[in-house]
Amino acid sequence: MEGRPLEDPELVERSRHGDQDAYAELVTRYQALAARTAYVITGSEDDAQDAAQEGFVKAYYALDRFRAGAPFRPWLLRIVANEAINRRKARGRRPTVGLSMAMDRPSPDTALSPEGAALASERRERVLAALREMREEDRVVIAYRYFFDLSEAEMAQALDVARGTVKSRLSRAIARLREHMGEETAE
Amino acid sequence: MTERIHDDELERTLAEVGERLAYPRSTAIAAAVRARIARPRSRWSAIFGRPLAPALVTAALLLLISAFALPDVRSAAAEFLHLRGIDIFPVPSVPATATGAPLPLSGERVTLDEARRRVHFTIRVPAELGAPDDVFVETSGPSERVTLAYRERAGIPQSKQLGIAVLVGEFRGTLEEVLLGKAAGPGTKIEPVSINGGRGFWLEGEPHLFFYREPSGDVRQDTLRLAGNTLVWEQDGVTMRLEAQVTKEQALRIAGTFR
Repeated sequence: MEGRPLEDPELVERSRHGDQDAYAELVTRYQALAARTAYVITGSEDDAQDAAQEGFVKAYYALDRFRAGAPFRPWLLRIVANEAINRRKARGRRPTVGLSMAMDRPSPDTALSPEGAALASERRERVLAALREMREEDRVVIAYRYFFDLSEAEMAQALDVARGTVKSRLSRAIARLREHMGEETAE
Repeated sequence: MTERIHDDELERTLAEVGERLAYPRSTAIAAAVRARIARPRSRWSAIFGRPLAPALVTAALLLLISAFALPDVRSAAAEFLHLRGIDIFPVPSVPATATGAPLPLSGERVTLDEARRRVHFTIRVPAELGAPDDVFVETSGPSERVTLAYRERAGIPQSKQLGIAVLVGEFRGTLEEVLLGKAAGPGTKIEPVSINGGRGFWLEGEPHLFFYREPSGDVRQDTLRLAGNTLVWEQDGVTMRLEAQVTKEQALRIAGTFR
């Protein structure tokens, strides 16, 4: 492996033939994203780590079904997200998840006045509260686009839908987010 | 009822929430997965995988070669070893993009306007250098990225291999000094700088690799194309990178003109 690092397709091909080091390299590459995706779905740190781990193991034993040359990352996300959703359902779905922000540091926009910064922080809390109440299927669509910056093509593969469907999925999820934000303030 | 948040505002707020979530730590996952995939994943690999360790097979073959010592057998065995590699799997077939000669610049060549339509962040152009000669955009890969190439600019030497004087890269991602440190060889100097109110780093002395963290949390590695100095900084949530054979003062001045 001297010189240039191997590209995903090469690592996948090697993994298919039983090279566990190659697969470990893929895990290292995507463990952060897998755990974050699972966290957005489960809202629990432990469940997220378990789901990510389980997803990687399942993906390894499912590599025979992986289409050679296809991008690995969205395929993995599909498996991890399924795993996370199942875990959440198995726990007897509570209406909201315990998703939380680590620290609400001020927005990097230095032009904000103290009042502006307080408003921005309030908006974040309001959006997070709505996110907690959404269906995980909608929440993950929003996360792929706005949290993890996936391209439309990757989103289509990760969600297992036609590329043309991604936009409507996303706008539906946003519409539901807005509904939840309205309910939040109605009471 | 509270007022409706404007679409742009909502999108920005969502990105901010995404940056702040209390994500779990993930560094232990690789080791745990490694331990759990120790059993062979198919019959094929059960035959050729772990149980027959590579060294054993190699030793057996070498015995075979020395036992027969016939030219035919020897060349066949050599070919077998070569084909299978020491890692004991067939040479994988990789797509042309991975094996072909490295493209000087990756991405699809488009106009600046087209690039602006395709990515979800604001592309900025340095006023001091004017309109770029070539614009490349990548949106199919893991994340969106734009490259602006300037072939000739007064006072800036042109790269002999690429015929390019300045390369500007713009993408979503964050800079970490620790990661940048990995990219720097013994002869590379890294200096924190402040640019347009944001933080940045000046890398001097031919760094060749570049690391940054994607919004997904993944660390990405990238190759620097010009054997020159590099200025990197964050501006409005976008990471900007300027590669050119210029001094720090020149680079900072150009960076100050991004609009």
